[in-house]
Amino acid sequence: MDKSKLTSKSPLRVLEESVKGGLDKGKVTVIASKKGVGKTACLVHIAIEKLLEGKQVLHVSFSKRTDYIISWYEDLFNELAAAKKVENVAELREEVMKNRVIMSFVQDGIVDKQILASLEAMIGPGNFKADTIIVDGYNFQKATKADLDLLKDFAKKMNVEIWISASLKADDVIFDANDFPVELTKFKDDVDIIISLRFKNDVIQMKVVKDEGGDVKDDIKLMLDAKTLLIAEK
Amino acid sequence: MDLEKKLRNIGISAHIDSGKTTLSERILFYCNKIHAIHEVHGKDGVGATMDSMELERERGITIASAATNVVWKGTPINVIDTPGHVDFTVEVERSLRVLDGAILVLCSVGGVQSQSITVDRQLKRYKVPRLAFVNKCDRTGANPYKVKEQLHDKLGLNSVLMQIPIGLEDKLEGVVDLVKMKAIYFRGDNGLDVVEEDIPADLKDEAEEKRELMLDAASMFSDELAEAYLNGEEIPQDMIHDAVRKGVLARELVPVFMGSAYKNKGIQPLLDAVVRYLPAPEDVENTALDLDDNEKEIILKSDPRMPTVALAFKLEDGQYGQLTYIRIYQGVIKKGDELYNTRSKKKFKVGRLIRMHASTMEDISEGGCGDIVALFGVDCASGDTFCNPSLNYSMTSMYVPDAVISLSIKPVDKKAADNMAKAINRFTKEDPTFRCYVDEESNETIISGMGELHLDVYVERMKREYKAEVTTGAPQVAYRETITKRADFEYTHKKQSGGSGQYGKVCGFIEPLTEEGKNYEFVNEVKGGKIPTEYIPAVDKGFQASLAKGQLIKFPVVGVKVTVNDGQSHPVDSSDMAFQLAAMGAFKEAYMKAAPEIMEPIMKVSVEGPTEFQGNIFASINQRRGMIVSSVEDGAICHVDAEVPLSEMFGYSTVLRSLTQGKAEFTMEFQKYGKVPKSVSDELIKKYQEQNKK
Repeated sequence: MDKSKLTSKSPLRVLEESVKGGLDKGKVTVIASKKGVGKTACLVHIAIEKLLEGKQVLHVSFSKRTDYIISWYEDLFNELAAAKKVENVAELREEVMKNRVIMSFVQDGIVDKQILASLEAMIGPGNFKADTIIVDGYNFQKATKADLDLLKDFAKKMNVEIWISASLKADDVIFDANDFPVELTKFKDDVDIIISLRFKNDVIQMKVVKDEGGDVKDDIKLMLDAKTLLIAEK
Repeated sequence: MDLEKKLRNIGISAHIDSGKTTLSERILFYCNKIHAIHEVHGKDGVGATMDSMELERERGITIASAATNVVWKGTPINVIDTPGHVDFTVEVERSLRVLDGAILVLCSVGGVQSQSITVDRQLKRYKVPRLAFVNKCDRTGANPYKVKEQLHDKLGLNSVLMQIPIGLEDKLEGVVDLVKMKAIYFRGDNGLDVVEEDIPADLKDEAEEKRELMLDAASMFSDELAEAYLNGEEIPQDMIHDAVRKGVLARELVPVFMGSAYKNKGIQPLLDAVVRYLPAPEDVENTALDLDDNEKEIILKSDPRMPTVALAFKLEDGQYGQLTYIRIYQGVIKKGDELYNTRSKKKFKVGRLIRMHASTMEDISEGGCGDIVALFGVDCASGDTFCNPSLNYSMTSMYVPDAVISLSIKPVDKKAADNMAKAINRFTKEDPTFRCYVDEESNETIISGMGELHLDVYVERMKREYKAEVTTGAPQVAYRETITKRADFEYTHKKQSGGSGQYGKVCGFIEPLTEEGKNYEFVNEVKGGKIPTEYIPAVDKGFQASLAKGQLIKFPVVGVKVTVNDGQSHPVDSSDMAFQLAAMGAFKEAYMKAAPEIMEPIMKVSVEGPTEFQGNIFASINQRRGMIVSSVEDGAICHVDAEVPLSEMFGYSTVLRSLTQGKAEFTMEFQKYGKVPKSVSDELIKKYQEQNKK
């Protein structure tokens, strides 16, 4: 089947297997990198994989326009389909995109009570049974621990997994010796999993730097092709 | 006079209720063409001059696009009042085609609403340069600054304030002109006296600040201005005007003006801006297709000495016969000239030539280059191109979407039947998206179009304008049938018992045609003359005839590729007819094996309303088998885009109103055909079979 063809060799699979607690419902995962490394692409890629698994994805963003997000999905999907030589791309795309809703909020990158109420409206009256919520462009520079707790409680209450991107803005030291993003130190206890992304020699290095209770001991590292975001072939 | 250098052909595009008709009327008034101002929703029962149809007057919306000629400070302007409702998009798009520039009207309270987005997209498609006018600044909650930001954020326009308001809401007094740096007030009866004064002290800083932004944006289009601005020199007004005009013509700058048409504020400066910044016919490049040269694109020249090329963009039934509005793109048209209609391939002589004013018409002897005029008594359809007989050009064909909805219509008596026929004949000529045919089985007359309201309006017009009393059936969605897998056929049509016989055998297969935009393909792979070549067209014809009605619910079948690879003929009994019937039999045999499915029109629906009702809006879409694509929350307003089957949208406006206390509105347009889910499809088939039993 085409769908399974598309999810094989996906970084998500490998991550799921390597992360101790598993990337599961009720968890909050943060993907952190500098601007321009490919956070959005990475999130959209994860969303597409979830969609291919038959899950429903709610994509939250903070811009006034949603058309470019839709193009992200289309482009990455096509890219992925081409890499895997899938037929009937248009049909398959239509089938899986049915399970995606984009909600955009014109405000400052913090998921507050009002936004959560809107998400609930979509899940409840809108009858959109989201499994995964993607939050692109969360403003960690402005967020407080309480803000993140709100999100964590929501993930538990609604039984959804939440993926957030964090744009690292510090000028000097971005990652510490263990590749942990320095700016996220104060939120370390508020999220379940942290993954850092770095761009090196035409590949994207993906590394789990926090897993559940504490630091990661064994080195979970993935090299991704910068274009398809699939595991780079060597 | 060099008309092509001076004339302005402008349209006024807007969201419903943003005061477009009132604005058009004020424009006519200030150009001294009409003598009293009537309100659209007026109490005096006269109505605005542009709304020539009674029906429009009653609904407070403008349906037909009348072209009206006015003169502002010596510059002739043709104002084309474009309809605002999406259900009439073909009318809107047809008028956009002949415009050189447009005023995008926005409500200072509502700002950029869903329909403004549709209208703006149309302006973009036809590459129309535009100014923005923020109307209704006298309303509670007016905020032209916010609207300017929305133009930038929601429409992606490089919007620049050319004015700032003096007072807002009920304190609106006038505007500050940021080029002149003067306060402008509108005094006297109907704001006829335009008075320039110094800028009020409390607005000085604000004006300076906004002027800087305006100069900054304008200097992108003029090195001269950029230099003067950077050096802090005194900047001549003309230099600013030139730069802004360049930006507007390049469609890279949208200057924003403001006021209140209803309160007679801000209209005269807007007219000045139309003359200053919007293009003359000469400034716009138009193309035609040369039918003698493989439809090669030809650039037309706004030159009165060149051979004539004109486009008929609007037909109207006047008291004295058919009136055809035309736009002259090249050359001129004189009374007595001979013109060639490149669609009907007929020549005709120009009889009466008319220039339209708001409610009167003027006989003229010549229509200049770039002008919009009307012809009397010419037999044509809208969209036709008229040329000098030496040319065979066609203006680029306009995009005409498929009809998505139909309903049966029945005259109540003989007289009504005659009138209905006349009306339908007229409407189908005026509007290519309005179609009419007689259903062979039920013998009913069916009209089809782009939406419920679209058909409603025509039914109303039949009653009012043509005195045709009609009854209508329930609206019917235009379903389609298609196949989803390959199926073989091997069919023999044989009738050899007495008289002249019939014999034909066809073999092959049908399969889904995936190529977009194609509904049918016929492939002939018959070898060795098993089916003689002369009968192949008959086979093709037989399959095509089968596509008219599918076997599920008798709707047209689309997306079928037929391959014929074998067959048999009889030296005496084979005929065209026999092979055509064989093909029809073959299709019937294969169709049900090819897993046929029903397709339905899916509409792109945009709902906009207060965030507090968001849950209700989501639920209402969900209940209609809709799929929410996105939702954008901007402060207290949320905007939801969804895809919803047309069949579920009947009566949605009433439902939405009651769900949101009348605070939300929606627009829809056709998006695509989509598969009908199994449960709905079963129901449709059941319903069809029951109907057939009767």
